[in-house]
Amino acid sequence: MGLLITYAKPYWKKITVAVVAVTLMAFSTLAQPQFLEKMMSAIIQNQSDVILKNGAFLLGLALLGILAGITGTYFASQVSQGVAADIRLAEYEKIQSFSLEQVQSYSSANLVVRLTNDINQVQQLVMQSLQMVLRVPILFIGAIVLAIWTLPSLWWVVLLMIVLIVLSSKRIFAMMGRYFGKIQHLIDQNNTLAQENLAGVRVVKSFNQQGQEEQNFAENTAQLTAVNTKIGYLFNLMFPIFMLISYAAIASALLFISTSIKEAPDQLAKITPFITYLNQILMALLMLGMISTFASRGFVSLKRIAAVMGEETAQANEEGQVAIEKDAFLTKELVVDGLTFTYPKAEEAVLKDLSFTLAAGQTLGIVGSTGSGKSTLALLLARLYQAEKGQVLVDGQAIEDIAESDWHQAVGIVMQKPVLFSGTIEKNLRMGNPEASQADLEAAVSAAQAADFVFTYPDGLEHEISERSANLSGGQKQRLSLARALVKKPRLLILDDATSALDARSEKRVQEVLEKDFGQTTKVIIAEKIASIIHADRILVLDEGRIVGSGSHQELLEESSFYQEIYQSQKGKEGDHE
Amino acid sequence: MNKLKQAVDYFVRYLKPYWKGLLFAAVFTLAGTYAQIKAPLYLGDAVSGLTKYLTASFTPGAHASLQDFYKALVGMVIFYLLSEIGLVLSGLVISRISSDSVGEMRLGLFANLQRKTIRYFDSHQDGKILSLFTSDLDNVFNAMNSAVFQIFSQGVLFLGIIWMMLEKSLTMALVTMALSPFAVIVALSIVNKARKQIERQQQATGDLNGYINEQLSGQAVLLAEGRQQASVEAFGPFNEEVRKASQKGQFFSGLLSPLMQGFSLLNLAIVIFFGSWLVLHNGMDKAAGLSLIVVFVTYSQQYFQPISQLTAIYNPLQLAITGANRIRDVEEKPNEVNGGKKQAGPLKEGVVLSHVDFAYQPARPILKDVSIDVKKEQMVALVGPTGSGKTTVMNLLNRFYDLNGGKITYDGTPLQDFDLTSLRNRVGIVLQESVVFSKSIRENIAFGKPEASLEEVKEAAKQANIHDFIMSLPDGYDTKVTGADNLFSTGQKQLLSIARTILTNPDLLILDEATANVDTVTEERIQAAMENVMRDRTSFVIAHRLKTILSADQIVVLKDGQVIEKGSHAQLIAEKGFYSELYYNQMVFD
Repeated sequence: MGLLITYAKPYWKKITVAVVAVTLMAFSTLAQPQFLEKMMSAIIQNQSDVILKNGAFLLGLALLGILAGITGTYFASQVSQGVAADIRLAEYEKIQSFSLEQVQSYSSANLVVRLTNDINQVQQLVMQSLQMVLRVPILFIGAIVLAIWTLPSLWWVVLLMIVLIVLSSKRIFAMMGRYFGKIQHLIDQNNTLAQENLAGVRVVKSFNQQGQEEQNFAENTAQLTAVNTKIGYLFNLMFPIFMLISYAAIASALLFISTSIKEAPDQLAKITPFITYLNQILMALLMLGMISTFASRGFVSLKRIAAVMGEETAQANEEGQVAIEKDAFLTKELVVDGLTFTYPKAEEAVLKDLSFTLAAGQTLGIVGSTGSGKSTLALLLARLYQAEKGQVLVDGQAIEDIAESDWHQAVGIVMQKPVLFSGTIEKNLRMGNPEASQADLEAAVSAAQAADFVFTYPDGLEHEISERSANLSGGQKQRLSLARALVKKPRLLILDDATSALDARSEKRVQEVLEKDFGQTTKVIIAEKIASIIHADRILVLDEGRIVGSGSHQELLEESSFYQEIYQSQKGKEGDHE
Repeated sequence: MNKLKQAVDYFVRYLKPYWKGLLFAAVFTLAGTYAQIKAPLYLGDAVSGLTKYLTASFTPGAHASLQDFYKALVGMVIFYLLSEIGLVLSGLVISRISSDSVGEMRLGLFANLQRKTIRYFDSHQDGKILSLFTSDLDNVFNAMNSAVFQIFSQGVLFLGIIWMMLEKSLTMALVTMALSPFAVIVALSIVNKARKQIERQQQATGDLNGYINEQLSGQAVLLAEGRQQASVEAFGPFNEEVRKASQKGQFFSGLLSPLMQGFSLLNLAIVIFFGSWLVLHNGMDKAAGLSLIVVFVTYSQQYFQPISQLTAIYNPLQLAITGANRIRDVEEKPNEVNGGKKQAGPLKEGVVLSHVDFAYQPARPILKDVSIDVKKEQMVALVGPTGSGKTTVMNLLNRFYDLNGGKITYDGTPLQDFDLTSLRNRVGIVLQESVVFSKSIRENIAFGKPEASLEEVKEAAKQANIHDFIMSLPDGYDTKVTGADNLFSTGQKQLLSIARTILTNPDLLILDEATANVDTVTEERIQAAMENVMRDRTSFVIAHRLKTILSADQIVVLKDGQVIEKGSHAQLIAEKGFYSELYYNQMVFD
């Protein structure tokens, strides 16, 4: 709620106009039956001038109502969409200040929902609030007061009607609520069935399981249909029940008036206004029901947004951090000292007290099975995760103490899953180094063995990458994300299984280029295939978060049985066939 | 309006079986509406009865009686009751019919998709097809529930009220209706305007969501490259466009309801004003005059209700028509052709591809003159760079696609002469990207043979080397796999799909090896599982692992859709061609 108020504040003028307009509209609705009563009395008393005067008022009032309606809608949409856009921008900025751990703890899909769906709910909430929240109470209370004021002896009819409607709607909504929960679940299931059927269409067809799939789908659909029908029944009962209650109120009002009409003949002119007020009370109650559903959804979303906005983020505090010229970055050694890291919610640490030293310009290879902590180490070295214990030192400087912008200019990482953004290839390549020259780009593209396909495009580097890089193969994506890291001419390059989709020949060429043209760069190469790191100055073998072997390829072959095992499994039994 | 006709055809097809129910609903709607229109007349009579009673009470000598009033009151209560009973009954029937028929549409769409060709699925994004279920059918359901029924009931109400008004007083009826043509024109032009603005709004929102999705999915890269600020800056214009487009869209779509309420108010004002003036200046009897005003005040409110309702359902109706058309488009896409009537029996001799030509799009041939001869129980390894056509061979053997030229024979019979089901029962596939369904592990393995016993499932899992892993899970074979969870690694998923294939015991096996991100331990398990599944079977393997290639009876090297080399490992090494280079390049160990 506080969040909403903060972001609504700048719009206070527009909010005021909207609220005034909506209030005017409510009053013009409420005032109409009053004029009706005056007109009816005037007829009884033959007062032509009263009719003319009040008639003019009545028309003016209705026109005012229309005008107020338009104005109110205009300002309500200005405010609600404005507030929504402002919150969205603020939330996006906030997310961009998140650490990778924070992003992953929410998951990016979840954050997308909080930025899109939840914002929409909040927008609806603001819109509905401005349009209805004031109007409905005014209408509701106003109509009750005026109805009782018109015919005070019938106060109990008004009250009874409200009580009956509230009670019956509570009951119906409670029943519906149960079905709504069910239906959401069934719809999810139905979608999952359809989605998996599509994703697995080859499996379904090749196993001839279309019939079985249809049957499963039919079972779920039958349940869905049954619940849909029940909800439909309840909806169809609700409105007629309300109407019947209001008709009963009208009939009893008439009956009671008839018993006292002789004593108070002026009641005659008051019947119609009274009935109109009863109808207005009914309408207000219906709107109240609608608002409460909107509001409850909106507040849930607001809470979810507030949770994101309330996350603590490390301020980009360059004070007290050391600025390092790129050329002076990592000129001596990279030291990892007692590094330990545990994922949130995990019981066991994924990296346990890891220590090693790497001289500047050297290449370190890392191998190990899935879950050995290789990728986590890469993310820690790239400063995307923060160590739980221990530290990473560059030329004796803890990495947290190095200015963030300098760091990013000096370090390149290529992740296991290549990610490119829609836009031109050039735009993607320049991400880490906006000042790169055309020649730099071309050199990086050739170094990453991407020239073969990039320059067969008629538009070359201007070629557009489509959404989710759908127009690129796995190997092409890897090559381009490698090129993106190379454009930076990084002082420290981290490759996390970054050449797995390359054919052996291309991979070998990448290794040669890295060796030749990036000799000054310190390289950390994580690989599944030993072939990828066979020439590294040093190879670390990781198992369950610990270093179980360290040395050159030859040394490890002699000393580490673990390493030998991996090597043998990949080497193949060529001896048998030659 | 061809589209409208198509949509109407579609609705008629699904609603026809319910004609009795629809007739029932129509009759009760008519009856209910009649009562609903009639009731205000009794209300008017009641007021008029009271007036008469009052006048008589104050006129000496006259006989004052409430008789007329009571009669009118009873009439009013009865008619209101009847109207609600009629509307409730027809409403219940309609909600039953609409959920049943939409359920059948849902099922019909699903069944239809089961018969489409693989070409259809390969050329349409899953997300787009899925939106037929999530969005289009939903729109149809909403329209069925409200719009279709309301057009009828509100239309009846509208005409009925006009008729009643005309009967009561021509002048007052005309006064009541005077504003409505104007109101309808304004309302429709707003609806139209709103639709255009909402399209723009949806476009802008789609772009924004696309941007958010992409950026946040790649957040690790943004962080690594220090691009957070740039990302926020690029977000700005998207956000602004959404703000501008939505402010307009929201304004126009939100305008309808207050505007119609406003018109209703205005109309009521006109009716009251003019009615009172009329009563006073035409020397009408007061009792009759008051009753006239009471009746027309009620009618004026009722009369505007269908107008605002009908304009409000214009949009949902449009959406439903579009939805029905999209679903019909799917129906019109070609179905899989079953082929001949021959039943494929156990493989006796082998499978032969001779001079096979194939292209997904006519302009871009994928396979050119490919000939491969596989004897029974042999294993062929297909080797070649990405895009060489290996996967396409697999698509053809299972008749996911039909050939453009040449032929593929199974024991000498061309594939298209077989009954498709019997052929696919003989052919098993293991895909590179394994598919796991949200079912229990047991159901996943028994996917191709749902009647398989637990023992059979376990045996298949053992051969596929995944039994131990499954037993290590708390619920064993009953463990539920859900879509998003990471219960299985890529390699384990492949083991699962190997088990699935083993269970169906195919004669001919097509296997696409998984490549990336498989650790050493799992790799060995896959190796062993593959040996188990290929034993005593005829198989085509799209091979990525050296070990697999080395164990093949025959290696076929594909490049740019053509077979460039063929033979055993030793023969191909001796040829010193493409394969031998590939081989030595993979062995860059020394």
